[in-house]
Amino acid sequence: MTEDNQVLSKSAFNFEQCLKCSICTVYCPVSAVEPNYPGPKQSGPDNERYRLKNPEYFNEALKLCLNCKRCEVACPENVKVGDIIQEARIKYSTHTPGLHDRMLANTDFVGTLAHNFAPLTNFALKLAPTKAVLHSVMGIDKHRTFPAYSFQTFEQWYRKQAEEQERFDRFVTFFHGCYANYNYPQLGKDLVKIMNVCGYGVHLLEKEKCCGVALIANGLSGQARRQGEVNMKSMRKAVAKGEPILTTSSTCTFTMRDEYSHLLGIDNSDVHDSLSLATRWLYRMIEDGKLRLAFRDDFKMKTAYHSACHMEKLGWIPYSTGLLKMIPGLELIMLESQCCGIAGTYGFKKENYERSQKIGSPVFKQIKEVNPDCVSTDCETCKWQIEMSTGYSVENPISIIAEALDVEKTRQLNSQTRA
Amino acid sequence: MKFDTIIIGGGLTGFTCALTLAKAGQNTALITAGQGTLHFNSGSIDLLGYDEQGQTVDQPLAAIAHLSQEHPYHKVADIATLATEAQALLANVGLPMDGTAERNHYRLSPMGVSKPAWLTLPGLVQSADERTLPWQKVTFVNIAGFLDIPTEFLVDNIRRKGTDVELKRFTTPELEQARRSPSEMRATNVAKVLADERALRKVAEAINALQADGEVILLPAVLGIANAKTEAGLEQLINLPVRFVATMPPSVPGIRIQTRLRQSYQQAGGMFSASDTVTGGVFQENRLRYIVTENMPDERFYADNFVLATGSFQSRGLMSNYQGVFEPIFGLDVDASDKRTEWTRAYVYDAQPYMKYGIRTDKDLLTFRKGDRIENLYAAGSVLSGHNSLKLADATGVDMLTALQVAHNILNR
Repeated sequence: MTEDNQVLSKSAFNFEQCLKCSICTVYCPVSAVEPNYPGPKQSGPDNERYRLKNPEYFNEALKLCLNCKRCEVACPENVKVGDIIQEARIKYSTHTPGLHDRMLANTDFVGTLAHNFAPLTNFALKLAPTKAVLHSVMGIDKHRTFPAYSFQTFEQWYRKQAEEQERFDRFVTFFHGCYANYNYPQLGKDLVKIMNVCGYGVHLLEKEKCCGVALIANGLSGQARRQGEVNMKSMRKAVAKGEPILTTSSTCTFTMRDEYSHLLGIDNSDVHDSLSLATRWLYRMIEDGKLRLAFRDDFKMKTAYHSACHMEKLGWIPYSTGLLKMIPGLELIMLESQCCGIAGTYGFKKENYERSQKIGSPVFKQIKEVNPDCVSTDCETCKWQIEMSTGYSVENPISIIAEALDVEKTRQLNSQTRA
Repeated sequence: MKFDTIIIGGGLTGFTCALTLAKAGQNTALITAGQGTLHFNSGSIDLLGYDEQGQTVDQPLAAIAHLSQEHPYHKVADIATLATEAQALLANVGLPMDGTAERNHYRLSPMGVSKPAWLTLPGLVQSADERTLPWQKVTFVNIAGFLDIPTEFLVDNIRRKGTDVELKRFTTPELEQARRSPSEMRATNVAKVLADERALRKVAEAINALQADGEVILLPAVLGIANAKTEAGLEQLINLPVRFVATMPPSVPGIRIQTRLRQSYQQAGGMFSASDTVTGGVFQENRLRYIVTENMPDERFYADNFVLATGSFQSRGLMSNYQGVFEPIFGLDVDASDKRTEWTRAYVYDAQPYMKYGIRTDKDLLTFRKGDRIENLYAAGSVLSGHNSLKLADATGVDMLTALQVAHNILNR
């Protein structure tokens, strides 16, 4: 059945397939709390027709979009509603990024400055006067608790033990991302621990830059593209070595797999399939019988799993939850899949803070009702938001697995599979 | 990944089938490309509303026996039993429904037209016959700025049924806030605003202050996306009985049905993939071995049995182009004319031939591909050929009953 006749009617992001059914509106977290946001249907495919005629129809209110992609997840016609909105912002917005946009978006720059003075930075960031200054001068809401910076970055820790990694004969490459690097190297160490115990050495990318998701959201897509090209170059080298590129952040993965090509015009087709969330890679290796995990008898935990927006968009939640379900002592409760409200740098800005908290309040409410030992999720900003807003601790599934792992038994099982 | 049964399509059909199998102990997965047409459902399930001669049906069980052989109901072994099972399934997921399969009652459309129905969510306006409502006088109260109810048509049509209507409207600060965006002040967003207890109390106060003169207060159905708690909460605060009138879509009662089914399925342990498109599968010796999807292209989903519940043209379960009507995932055989001129009638309100198009199945609801029957690929719901959801008002009944029949067929293998 050829579709030659229909080729011409294929529109960018499928916007002509929109039926105006309004299902996207039902699932938009912003639309539910913010009447000033035109909503996904109007901001996306409806308005696109007008914008194609005349760019003056672009509305700066589109910046209220969280880029959560839940509109796309819900759409029955496969219209890329979120992409249409983001692309319109990139193409038509005349808003120049302000200082707080640049600061929040440049995680590498701020991370480097902040971690070098970590004890001082962390202390200062907790003080009310500092927060007041950040609030009034920088527009960063005073209610926000900044995640602590680590004095030693993950990369610095890695370099100290890089030689250790070379004693393995099989490798994976790890894209660690800004969060693990500057704020929480423990997550990177947990990933390395699991890999090493399973018989895999871990390499880093030759040169790693922030994935750029915050740059795209803050109107700095040119810089995002440049950083993307650096990452692409490094990833191609890893792929050439035959090493899968693993990540521990759902948003970094989603950005580099989807947003690079959809929004930044970067051709990533040669690395796309090699790039995967670590939980997905582990699950599939176990499924194929190439890797085995054993867990401690004394490990007990009740965890509530939060479905991060980009994880829902990737469709990979079954991998993370499937992996967690392999731990005998773990009780897994699935929270209703909803946006936590922070949307990366969005929720840090004072003009968005209240909205963010309104959006996330059903999530916080359900967590308190479930009362788990900890919450689990694959996204680091969800982790900050939930920790800040509920007081419950939040762990990446990789950290839970690393903690539950029976190291000796796992090592034995994997040396057997190799034999 | 390996499952006992994989269900493709997350609407009324898919979830009815998946939930039944999961509760029977099967390891199931449900994969859907997006949300389904329950978002447009007014909160009622139809068994059969009109016969093939266009007459309103009073007793659906009796009338079904007279439907032409091509109708999918003839592939359901015992309609009465499965109708009871369907009603029980809904009750078990927190959706007790009013109505019986022996005799249709009437629901009220947003325009005020009475339409035959089998099951309706309690609280929605219902009547025993088409021409009257069970009240002499009602007060219809709308929310100022809520546009998804055509008030003048509704009021006019209620009056034609011999019921007097007093028309009132109200607002509260929270609703005024939501009203600032007329395009987003949809029933679902109003429901979210009113999920807050304080906001709901202000609504009750505003309604009580209207001093309604009718026997009941009619409100647009804007409460309770996930359950009936908010409705119950409001009814306790208002000093008259309250009934709800279905709105234009997005429809809160329909979304409640979808939400309860989906949550129950997940609680029963089923794997649910909310936004993935099945792109194809591998067949071997007239069996479907595994399927692949867009988000997990290097994953193979194996199952003993598969159920196609992908819906009709709106949901892309069926598609058409200049060359014909086709089933886009597996290229299954369809019952459809290959002459495009035969697809439609000129007058839009005539019965349209394309409405009956769908995929071909045998008496066990197994599908065909290039003339060969596929021994483990079933189909259920709107994707089936031989029914007409508009002219017969049979869609949701076909969805649930064929879904249950397929589940039974699989469990009895």
